[in-house]
Amino acid sequence: MSTEKTNNKKPKNEKIPIKKTKKQKERIAIVTALRTPMARAGGKFAKMQADQLGARLFRELMLRSPVSFEEVDEVIIGNVAQPIHAANIARVIALRAGFPEATPSLTVHRNCASGMESITTAASRIHSGEGKIYVCGGVESMSNIPLVYSASMTALFTKLSRSKTVLDKVQTLLGFRPSFLKPIVGLMSGLTDPVSGLLMGNTAEVLAQDFGISREEQDAFALASHEKAAKAKESGRFAKESMALVYDERAGKYLDFDDGIRESQTLEKLGKLRPFFDRKNGTVTAGNSSQITDAAAGVVLMSESEAQKRKLEPLGYLTDYAYEGLEPKRMGLGPVFATEKLFRQTGFCMKDMQIVEINEAFAAQVIACERAFASKEFAKTHFAKKEAVGAIDPEILNVNGGSIALGHPVGMTGTRLVLTVLHELRERGLQRGLATLCIGGGQGAALLLEVE
Amino acid sequence: MKYFNYDIDEDGIATLTFDTPKSAVNVLCFAALYELRELITNFETDKSIKALFIESAKEDIFIAGADIKEIKAFKDEAEIIAKLREGQEIFNRLENLPFETVAVIDGACLGGGLELALACDYRIATNEAHTSLGLVEVSLGIIPGLGGTQRLPLLVGFRKALELIVGSKRLKGDKALKLGLVDASVPAGYLAFKKEEYSKAILSGTLEAQVAKKRQYIKWYERFSPLRTLIATMARKEVMKKTAGHYPAALKTIDVLEETLEMSLEEGLKVEIEVFAPLATSEVSKNLIELFFTSEALKKETFSKAKAKPINTSAVIGVGTMGSGIAWVLAQKEIPVRLGARQMSSIAKATAKMMKSFERLQKRGRLTSREIGLKMDRVAYTTDMQGLSAVDIVIEAVSEAAEVKRQVFEDLEAKVSKEAIIATNTSSLNISSLLENVKHPERFVGMHFFNPVEMMPLVEVIAGEKTSDETLATVVSLAKKLGKTPIKVKECAGFLVNRTLLPYLNEAARMFEEGANIEGIDKVVKDFGLPMGPFTLADEVGLDIGEKVSDILYEAYGERMKPSPILAQLVEKGWLGKKTGQGFYLHQGRKKLLNTEMENLQSKKENLDEQTILDRSILIMVNEAAKCLEEKVVEKAAYLDMAMVMGTGFPAFRGGLLRYADSLGIAEVVKRLSLLESRYGERFAPAKSLLDMAEKGESFYSTSNARLS
Repeated sequence: MSTEKTNNKKPKNEKIPIKKTKKQKERIAIVTALRTPMARAGGKFAKMQADQLGARLFRELMLRSPVSFEEVDEVIIGNVAQPIHAANIARVIALRAGFPEATPSLTVHRNCASGMESITTAASRIHSGEGKIYVCGGVESMSNIPLVYSASMTALFTKLSRSKTVLDKVQTLLGFRPSFLKPIVGLMSGLTDPVSGLLMGNTAEVLAQDFGISREEQDAFALASHEKAAKAKESGRFAKESMALVYDERAGKYLDFDDGIRESQTLEKLGKLRPFFDRKNGTVTAGNSSQITDAAAGVVLMSESEAQKRKLEPLGYLTDYAYEGLEPKRMGLGPVFATEKLFRQTGFCMKDMQIVEINEAFAAQVIACERAFASKEFAKTHFAKKEAVGAIDPEILNVNGGSIALGHPVGMTGTRLVLTVLHELRERGLQRGLATLCIGGGQGAALLLEVE
Repeated sequence: MKYFNYDIDEDGIATLTFDTPKSAVNVLCFAALYELRELITNFETDKSIKALFIESAKEDIFIAGADIKEIKAFKDEAEIIAKLREGQEIFNRLENLPFETVAVIDGACLGGGLELALACDYRIATNEAHTSLGLVEVSLGIIPGLGGTQRLPLLVGFRKALELIVGSKRLKGDKALKLGLVDASVPAGYLAFKKEEYSKAILSGTLEAQVAKKRQYIKWYERFSPLRTLIATMARKEVMKKTAGHYPAALKTIDVLEETLEMSLEEGLKVEIEVFAPLATSEVSKNLIELFFTSEALKKETFSKAKAKPINTSAVIGVGTMGSGIAWVLAQKEIPVRLGARQMSSIAKATAKMMKSFERLQKRGRLTSREIGLKMDRVAYTTDMQGLSAVDIVIEAVSEAAEVKRQVFEDLEAKVSKEAIIATNTSSLNISSLLENVKHPERFVGMHFFNPVEMMPLVEVIAGEKTSDETLATVVSLAKKLGKTPIKVKECAGFLVNRTLLPYLNEAARMFEEGANIEGIDKVVKDFGLPMGPFTLADEVGLDIGEKVSDILYEAYGERMKPSPILAQLVEKGWLGKKTGQGFYLHQGRKKLLNTEMENLQSKKENLDEQTILDRSILIMVNEAAKCLEEKVVEKAAYLDMAMVMGTGFPAFRGGLLRYADSLGIAEVVKRLSLLESRYGERFAPAKSLLDMAEKGESFYSTSNARLS
């Protein structure tokens, strides 16, 4: 075990010995990985439905992969909003992308971790021997989450369709009230936790209060996210993991960068924004929250031995993973719970991690996680442990920014984090990283990733 | 019985199945008609039959039409009249059978086949893609001759019947139902249920009333003579606008329908025959029928004995005008295609162009937006030639520069699998010379598509010195799958079509130099039947491209192809034709105006007579075509004619370039060429083969190399 502080300044050739983990499962090789650019919702990709976005990404992924469409055992795709016109969207995407009709497809939903769930579901199927090669990922078109009629309006429609005579119909229509027309905004409902009744942003407000995180700290974090992302974009770092996408085939328009990154973001601009969730006393604003975005990401998976047999050079490996539940009201701390479980499972500790990605659902939420990770008190209360789970070196946390700059297409982000960690490890010549995120409804997910 | 199988069940429901022995298709030859007559004679007195269903045993075909070979073989009008009378009489007796008759149409039902169905009391069609119904005689220069002009208006009305026959329209089952041409349109899988339903309704005597509601019949206002005349006049105008009267069958159709609408069937059929006979013996019809046979022969032609490899996925490198057109044709035929270009902006532009082509089909109701979406799902793209390892063929359509193409070939060989075929869409470069550095020259082949690829049916397939037979067979089969007509041509500068066409464009420029009038020349050539005159065409193509190809051909063929200096002068001025708004004409939006500044380039004014213009334009092409045949650039005169019709729009009613020469007589062609040679120079010196043919009294189609098989 390495006791030194590990960060990007570490010489590239110095390898850290692989530690024996408790459960010696075979590593899952990520053979090919790709994502679309991330486009602000209501913008560039707004006219593309999630299935089309997914179809484009997964076809390109497969054409770039050494694996052929026919060899894939199953397509597993995470998606949160699940468009009405494409039930089991994974199946729709698989067929549109060109997978054989005989290839089964499954849509998975673990809210914000859906893009990880698809990968871990496949991993567990590979481990159980159910199949060898899986195509996984996540897709989300937050632009296309619909407005929904209220229950009273729906009831009126139903009654109307059953009314036989004109008189019946008139009578039914007399029951109409203008308030029936107030739509339910699907996006807002989706982002509301039905148990605590809190919008996701309000759960971040809870954490800001718990940990005493000021508006200024949150804004500074948000600014850093944009700055780091802008730098990564400038250096061509993101282009390595994403494809250029023709999003309007009719007009001949394409996007080849992530358009949520604000190069000109400043603390001053961030400071002017009104709190969105708690308008009177809050600290969480649209500026220090993740953006609402459309995107898709995908990976081709197989066991490490299968990759060796095929003489492939995988991008990297999934070594282990953990999901853990917690209080829905404080769902933002999910990464701490899941990571603690992952470390217990594997015997690794935070100091073994050379790159850490915590999804930036909210600046307050990531800062809260950082503090909880470093806190003995927190560890004692929640995990009955004497030592903290492990402080994260800020130098290795979200090194290219995160969802505050890039956006958080809920079903896709989980896969994106895997891409980010693996590409960054390769870029820096490092071996091991952590991708973790909080999950609406009160869960956390943590993935241990390695590269050779 | 040879052609028909007959069966009757205990309810008296009889089924007559048309099953031409040893053939995949049913064609209505006279032998089959006579057999049908014999059957009808028996049916007329057979009291046990309550209803008769007429079906086909062939897959995808009900009856493909009358036997065109028989039409071609008719000696004279008298024979035609006698034969058609017999045929009409048979259909009349079919119509008058004492029980009800139903045609069951699952597949092509065209020409004489539809006329047979029209003589039945009812028609059931399937709404499958392979089912199409139409009286398509006009496309062969004749009119329906077995009662089609008489029975169709009764079902669909006068105006619709005109539209269908004049346009040789083919209808799908559902559309035919909507127009009243058929009484039911069902999926093939439900055909048996429909027949059962019809049998029951016939037995209970309710079918007639049931279908009567849906038929369109002749409209009351169409029976009102002034309105009918108005409809006919408008139809004539439309035909004249489209064909300039070069295709008399369309106009005759209108005459017959207008004249006979109120006549009895007997009188109407007489008129039909009287009009049919002279058309069937006309030059135009003979030419169109010959071209039809050539196109049938080309459908079967493989140009090599090797077996074609399957093409499941493809890529197109270079997505300019040609590349995006090729990509669209691939996508339209649902062959996955990967676009390759250096810039994403070129790729995005290409998808926009492809979408436009799709939307054109959507507007005509031939595609839904869902179908377009699914086709576009198979279109992927790359800016760094990634992801080509699985493609079966790459079609290269980068700019027409040898160096660029060589580099692309080298890059491609490193990216594609060992088996992949690499085709190059060059219009004039020598393929073998492009392949000096490639590792596997046997997989390289030329595929010359014509612009606009979406519309133009011709593909010249060019085998290089080392191209393998398998490669050749594969691209020939692919071109067919794309709905194109591939014609193999030998490697030579300009291949067949451009080599033959360019001297004509060049000659036009020379006539201009000598002082001739641009619009005058264009008009003479257009009146001859070409879709546009040489100056309009040059402006469309782009004068820079014209100059480039001219130079290549000049280098290859020497003096006779020496470019007129006018071309270079215009290119120097930046007048490149339509794309720059100025060329021989001024182009403003869709409007084309005379470019008055062009006169300044002429030192004198001299008007040429029409005959000279025409001979200088057309015979110079005949001469070059003769040389192509001598050099075996193309195997058969008939293929050359088809290539010129498809590749340049050479008028089909003239049967093609060489058939036109034959119609003048080769001796006359030689005489005129010699005259032109003495007046304008050696480029008109008659080709050796022309001199030989003239001496022996032969023609292109009488010599052995012209025959189809």
